[in-house]
Amino acid sequence: MWMPEDAGPTVQRDLDAVDAALASDAANHDDPTARELQELALALRADAPAPEPGFEERLRAGVEAGFPRRRRFIRARQAGERLKTRGRALPALAVGAGVLLALAVVIALDGAPDRQDGAGGGGSVARERAEGSAGRVPAPAPTDGRAADSRFAPFAAAPATAPGADFEPAERRRKIERSFSLELEVPLEDMTGVADRVTEVTNRNGGFVLSSSVDTGADGGGGDFELRIPSERVRPALRDLAQLAPVVRQTQDGRDVTRRHVTATDRLQAARAERRSLLRRLEDADTDEEAEALRRRLDLVAGEIRGLRAELRDLRLRTDYAAVTVSLLADDGSPATEGGGVGGSFDDAVGDAGDLLLGVLGVVIRALAVALPLGLIALPAWAAARVLRRRRRESALV
Amino acid sequence: MDHAHGRSTGVNQAVAERIPAVASADRETFAALYERTFARVYAYVASLVRDAAAAEDVTAQAYERAYRKRRSYRAQRGTPEAWLFGIARNAALDELRRRRRRARLADDPEDGTGASVHEHAERALRREVVRAGLATLDGPERELIALKFAGSLSNAEIGRVLGISESNVGTRLHRALTKLRKACHVDA
Repeated sequence: MWMPEDAGPTVQRDLDAVDAALASDAANHDDPTARELQELALALRADAPAPEPGFEERLRAGVEAGFPRRRRFIRARQAGERLKTRGRALPALAVGAGVLLALAVVIALDGAPDRQDGAGGGGSVARERAEGSAGRVPAPAPTDGRAADSRFAPFAAAPATAPGADFEPAERRRKIERSFSLELEVPLEDMTGVADRVTEVTNRNGGFVLSSSVDTGADGGGGDFELRIPSERVRPALRDLAQLAPVVRQTQDGRDVTRRHVTATDRLQAARAERRSLLRRLEDADTDEEAEALRRRLDLVAGEIRGLRAELRDLRLRTDYAAVTVSLLADDGSPATEGGGVGGSFDDAVGDAGDLLLGVLGVVIRALAVALPLGLIALPAWAAARVLRRRRRESALV
Repeated sequence: MDHAHGRSTGVNQAVAERIPAVASADRETFAALYERTFARVYAYVASLVRDAAAAEDVTAQAYERAYRKRRSYRAQRGTPEAWLFGIARNAALDELRRRRRRARLADDPEDGTGASVHEHAERALRREVVRAGLATLDGPERELIALKFAGSLSNAEIGRVLGISESNVGTRLHRALTKLRKACHVDA
């Protein structure tokens, strides 16, 4: 940059002299150079262009009227202003588009895991339902007015068969081992009545109570039931159980044991055929030694048959009857759960709120992870565009 | 021409605080700003665009823009004058870019008093010398001179308008004046 000789004091003296001349309208500095600059400043000011009086009056009228828009220019001006507004809003639009893009990317990346782990504030009931979707039990449909409440729609999702060692694709009649668990929230004073009705529902559906325990102590209470209910009756039975009290938790499991069943059946048939063969050979035995060996062999086969029968009986019991665990939890009567409301307990609400906040926080962090680099690119670009625009505008001066 | 444009800091501050007001009070405040700055804004714009008709258009456009954007004014970013001159500058530069030409003033704007007809020959000669000297300056230097002497802005206000520091304004202004003084000597 060019700097005048003896820059500091001289420049300041000259500038002060110019300002003094402009203020006093007189050039009277002692230094000839400064005085010359003063005269020049006064001449420049005197030579400043002046407006025509008519223009000044017209513009004053416009100012006083608040610049009313002239009708014939309104459309063109509005179009121009729209364009200007768009131009001004361009950075904001770019930022908005960036955030939307970031969110879209985050949602696209985040969607699959969220569906799998149930994150996103679905609550404990929803999570349990997702965890329990391992079997293939058709969902029993609630029949009363509480159908809209998820807590009264147990096992609504049909569990899928888990492929495993017992899977036998060629077998048409599947053998499925099913198990269910229900947690019912019961007012302490109704505990005994509900426990009786659990047994009643079980009996009515052709099942039996394997074990039960009920506690109605004043300091809290509860009950546990191990039920076996015929598979074909399990749906109506579960529906009836769910109507006894609000369901606060539910799980279900299904396991295909068809292959095991087929294998045991085949082995049993083979063992029986062997026994028949051994019996025929025993009848035809010529020596005592031969007869003794055949008897020992028959004993072994008989043991094998007994074991296979027991296995088949056990498998049949487990597939013909579904294992249902019912837990009765004493309701503490807090407002959040009274009347079977959908809010759950206060702890549940706090937990759900925490989950929800964590979910939102996760999305925000992921969005920032995408938006921040975009912003770091966009910000210098915006600043550069601003400088460029200013330079282009100022190029008109050169 | 009346050049008694006082630049009282107190007045500027009061206007600065009142500009974002609403309705009629808002309009009155803006009208006060207009009364205080009109001649200076016109002189600055006319110095830039060098065309009386274009200067009127640009000046009117600048005030209208300022009026419509008056709520965007922030006192902490400078005086109302600096804000208004910034708007006028952009309007003038846009006009210059649009026209892409350096038109000489078709008619030199005259003093409102009409004294030019009778002015002294020596003063007319001096004016011609100064104008010839101005022609030797480059665009940014002429703009600086216009802001200082036609716009009657302080160095701090000029810094706000141009986006540079006050000390930088002083240095550039001194350089431009020195250059102009030498050019006037040559022309004289």
